Amino acid sequence: MDESRDPASSEPPRDHDRARTTRRGLYALGGGVTLFVFAVLIRDEFHHAPTPDAAVSAPGTPVSFTPPPMSKIPGGPEGDAIRHGLAIFENTGTQASQFVGNGLACRNCHLDGGRKANSAPMWAAWVSYPQYRSKNGKINTMEDRLKGCFSYSMNAQDSPSGGPPKPGDPVYADLQTYFHWLAKGAPTDTKLKGAGFVKLKLTALGYDRSRGQAVYAQHCAACHGADGQGRTDLNGRVVFPALWGPKSYNWGAGMAVVNNAAGFIKANMPLGAGNSLSDQQSWDAAAWIDSQERPKDPRQKGTVEENAKAFHAKEKTFYGKMVDGHLLGTGTAPPTRIASR
Amino acid sequence: MTAPPPEDERFEPYEPRRRIPLPVYWIAIALVLWGAMTLLQDSAAHRRSDTARIAQARQTLAQQDAPGALLFAERCSTCHQGDGGGIAGAVPPLSGSPVVAADPHAIVQILLHGITGPIAIEGKTYDGHMPAFASVLDDAQLARLASYVRRTWGSRGPTLDAAFVARERAATANRAGPWQGGADVAQMVPAMGAQPSNPIAPPAPDQALAMRIAFNGVRGGWSCASCHGMAGEGRDGVPRLAGLPADYIAAQLTNFASGARANDSMYTVSRQLAPAERAALAHYYAGLATPSNARPSLGGDIGRGATLALLGDDRAQIPSCFSCHGSSGFGVAPSFPAIAAQHPGYAAGRVAAIAALGKNANLMTPIAKRLNDADRRAVADYLATLPPTPAGVATARKER
Repeated sequence: MDESRDPASSEPPRDHDRARTTRRGLYALGGGVTLFVFAVLIRDEFHHAPTPDAAVSAPGTPVSFTPPPMSKIPGGPEGDAIRHGLAIFENTGTQASQFVGNGLACRNCHLDGGRKANSAPMWAAWVSYPQYRSKNGKINTMEDRLKGCFSYSMNAQDSPSGGPPKPGDPVYADLQTYFHWLAKGAPTDTKLKGAGFVKLKLTALGYDRSRGQAVYAQHCAACHGADGQGRTDLNGRVVFPALWGPKSYNWGAGMAVVNNAAGFIKANMPLGAGNSLSDQQSWDAAAWIDSQERPKDPRQKGTVEENAKAFHAKEKTFYGKMVDGHLLGTGTAPPTRIASR
Repeated sequence: MTAPPPEDERFEPYEPRRRIPLPVYWIAIALVLWGAMTLLQDSAAHRRSDTARIAQARQTLAQQDAPGALLFAERCSTCHQGDGGGIAGAVPPLSGSPVVAADPHAIVQILLHGITGPIAIEGKTYDGHMPAFASVLDDAQLARLASYVRRTWGSRGPTLDAAFVARERAATANRAGPWQGGADVAQMVPAMGAQPSNPIAPPAPDQALAMRIAFNGVRGGWSCASCHGMAGEGRDGVPRLAGLPADYIAAQLTNFASGARANDSMYTVSRQLAPAERAALAHYYAGLATPSNARPSLGGDIGRGATLALLGDDRAQIPSCFSCHGSSGFGVAPSFPAIAAQHPGYAAGRVAAIAALGKNANLMTPIAKRLNDADRRAVADYLATLPPTPAGVATARKER
């Protein structure tokens, strides 16, 4: 552009002049468009959250997946099973009342009806079973996994039937039909983004229950209560689930292991403000919650110490530890069953 | 001025032929493109909003004319569930219920006035609290709703018409407050069998004090009723108080007095109240069963509002309203206020205030910030279509 500055002393040939004008026009247009694109890019950077890349990702890197919207549930017998599976998922204590021994429902840990990434979404679970689990040392089908959910997270030992649904129970079939539908179109040969819970690296400070008590009081107690017993609405229906005590998950549940709870808290809690707590706060809150007494581990045959050795040796857990002069793992008395159950 | 050089005598002014610098072209072209893009986007937004408005108008029409199934899905299924199975220990089922099977006059009366108190259905006792729909659904809508419930879970009786509901409404027009538990319902439905007795709670000792302040004010201050209405029903821009959790009301009065919640009028009023007076007022308003006078007034998209309230918007990280404010927006004591039947002007304004002024420790602040203006109006208008909280029970419940 500097050349344009020097005044043309000699009259250039017409052709040369025209060529130069054209060239300048191109420069002007090119520069203008570049400037415009640049401005748009900058604006998008500030105004819009980065959108997930739709481009094909390299093999091995996790792929994002979005489950179909609820409005797309088909009709017919399959649709009925999907809807019933969803009803069990959302309202487990009523729809599978025989197998639920606490006040929880599937959706308490698997948020948005099992759709939310990083809260162990069911579309990601569906495509990763059958799988080997060190928890029971065998290949688990989805039904085996669900049996585990009922045994531990739903504390089936205190339920009216005294245990999880028997193999082949329609509860399993309908839940699986719902999961299968949620995973419609999900690839089976690759990792999905948001599967399971976030795996938090242990911080330098580790986790500490007394720090956790302070985090809990500030960030958790408004909903779950200072006593961790959750809250019900005016009809007695659970709105915020109990985090410990007889109405919560038992010592065999995945959520009773500190790193699982920390990962769940980090990405999802407080509700609507996921990732607002620091890693340290998440670890500490998890430590406070998971160092409270809860229903006993249903696998326990002998003493708590023996069971701790058999099933909890490799876990970050408070099971079998003495806290405030109390041996954790002893269990709670079953909740007085409400007359109407 | 000294003598100029002779050449300049013949000086002809001329403009050296200098081209416009390229950057000027660049900026001009970029601006033109930017303008074109903005124009295009704006016109697209206009077209979209027109389409949305037309679709919404159609939807509103369809809703007023909605078959009972849709009415049930929107108003009843959060508690009774889509399959009528209810919630163990909390909400009685409709399938198999003698009330649904009985003479239609019972179900219409329950829909009109609601029920509060223990009720036994199929041998199981529920401490039931059902809202009154008389103030939010018209006769034709109630007829369709009752017909749907009876057709689905009861006898195949005749389809009810609006005139039937109108007669039922007129017959109990003087009734204030809900039916008292299964005992009242059994008088309409003999097949209910034995029902638990429903001890009517004696009026709280501080009720006289509360009513004196509510209607006359104290120490020369304004009365509550002068703004919030004779029965705590509120008006546009002034919140409904009836049925809010008592602890919540008391906490707000404390916050107004300390300035933690900024409001000039309430600052003045609440500072005149002693703690005992605040508690008395809180109990009084929490226990009022007042019909709703809230109506959608902000032009919000009610369908979008319903989606936000019931399901939230996971892409925008907005959890459903009901996940914290209770499954029907009736509030969760002590901290979460009832939002059903709240006035839209107040509700949307409150969300805007929390977004602008709220502290980050407040759970609602990040959510309020993510709700844009259209969403705030949508959800506020939707909440105004809901029945009011069944009153008298919204205080902290005894642990089961």
